[in-house]
Amino acid sequence: MKVFYEKAKVISLKRIGDSYLEIVLENRNIARWGRPANFVLIKGWENYDPLLARPFDIVQADGETGRFMLVIKVTGRGTRLLAKLEDKSEVSVIGPLGKAIEDFSISRIGLLVRGVGAAAVVLLAEKARERGIEVYTFLSASTGSRLVCRELLEKYSTEIEIATDDGTIGYHGDARERVSAYLDEPGFDRLYTCGSRRFARFVKDMDKQGRIEGYLFLETYMACGMGDCHGCAVGKATGEGYYLVCKDGPVFRSSDVVID
Amino acid sequence: MASLEVEIAGIRLKNPVMPASGAYEYSEERKSFFSPGELGAIINKTIFLEKRIGNPPPRIVETPCGMLNAIGIPTGGIEDFIETQLPKMESFGVPIIASVAGNSIEDFLEVSERVAETGKVSFIELNLSCPNLSEGIEWARDRKQLFSVIERVKASVDIPIIAKLSPMVSDVAEMAAVSEDAGADAVALINTYKGMVIDIEEKKPLLGNLTGGLSGPAIHPLAVYAVFSSYRKIKIPIIGIGGIASWSNAVEMILAGATAVGIGMYNFVNPMVMKEVIEGISNYLDDNGFNSVKEIVGLAHRLG
Repeated sequence: MKVFYEKAKVISLKRIGDSYLEIVLENRNIARWGRPANFVLIKGWENYDPLLARPFDIVQADGETGRFMLVIKVTGRGTRLLAKLEDKSEVSVIGPLGKAIEDFSISRIGLLVRGVGAAAVVLLAEKARERGIEVYTFLSASTGSRLVCRELLEKYSTEIEIATDDGTIGYHGDARERVSAYLDEPGFDRLYTCGSRRFARFVKDMDKQGRIEGYLFLETYMACGMGDCHGCAVGKATGEGYYLVCKDGPVFRSSDVVID
Repeated sequence: MASLEVEIAGIRLKNPVMPASGAYEYSEERKSFFSPGELGAIINKTIFLEKRIGNPPPRIVETPCGMLNAIGIPTGGIEDFIETQLPKMESFGVPIIASVAGNSIEDFLEVSERVAETGKVSFIELNLSCPNLSEGIEWARDRKQLFSVIERVKASVDIPIIAKLSPMVSDVAEMAAVSEDAGADAVALINTYKGMVIDIEEKKPLLGNLTGGLSGPAIHPLAVYAVFSSYRKIKIPIIGIGGIASWSNAVEMILAGATAVGIGMYNFVNPMVMKEVIEGISNYLDDNGFNSVKEIVGLAHRLG
């Protein structure tokens, strides 16, 4: 796949809650070619410290306006620098990266996501709905202010269930309980998850029991994003070596990989 | 326009820029940026006789102006190299360096002989300095072993040998001199420095392998010094590697005594870096009135 290394202009930067950031960037090629599960590497500073660009999922991509959106959890040095970007400043972008989800020969999917992991599935929800696929979303967070991409997921989902650990919004408790209520009826052709190890283990279990086809969006530290550095390894379930999250993923069938 | 052509062991490189082993795959993604055929030479990720799976994650961690990697060289082995990688590399029409390693001198000999037998490789680079293998760095640390492995490979293949050395020694220039005495046609300086990051939450080393090799701009001045000090002791060409992130970093290396330069981790940050370095060296030569890059190799020694 063609990968671009270009500048992207900062169109807007919006703080969401206490720890998230929504960034709209302008770059025609990323906006044109970004597909579900693709990600980009962003560097918004010139010097060598921090040295590496940071990987983020493409949340929205609009080929007509040339704009794309990222949702970022401000958590370390790189993301704190991105939080300080000013409108009309420029960042460098490498992408689209990762293996896109291209197979939509299905009728119903479930999305089980938590925290900033929700950002990974928005484009999938949008593109699936465009193709007439039913999208059931289970959006979870510790508390209401940490629900990420809620409006977008409400827009693209056929049905959405929200769960918070403290009950501030939606179901008071674990989103897995809500998913379980749907597993047999209506059931999902595929269940995707992102943002929680517990969720990943749950999806893996359900897959193993033959109740769904489970898929994991994996997130990990990476340097190059295209298979050169071999930094983002995840163990193969067969025990024979590793996949690279950047190039073999970021989405894996749950039965193919080892989750701690 | 000044000539960028250089020569190592009688083999002409159209420019002095190449990837450092292990940091650049000849993939479709990479071809999006420029063709590897524009480089002076190309090199593979080190192969052993057997397939290797590499180290458990986490394998990388960022450090100030650098990164530690503990990848552990996951590669397909000699068969995979000959059948899959080599045809791909050949298609670019530039000299190929085969990076090889082994767990014993016999391994080094066998993998080198098999690579040389293909007749498609211009150089063999002996990776004597991987800090992520239990015995990896030892080859470049022990004078006798270093001499012996180079001498024996040199005697058994008919293509030039490059010794990739470690900076984790008391004097890398001494080891470069040992390599020259043993028959190496060139040395590649330097491999990464062994380092560690502790995860203060988990209260244990962060990397799966505990230690990793430090690369990136942080080590550039150390690499320049390794090249500078070795240039005074040896006559064979030096390939300067370590923290090159720009054309000016590469020019420094050449002025210090490198005939060519290898670029590693910065390919991760700037996918265009090698092409920018080729153009930058060319502009530097023109701006400073030189006709050939060969004129500036080791020029920093005039006053030193």
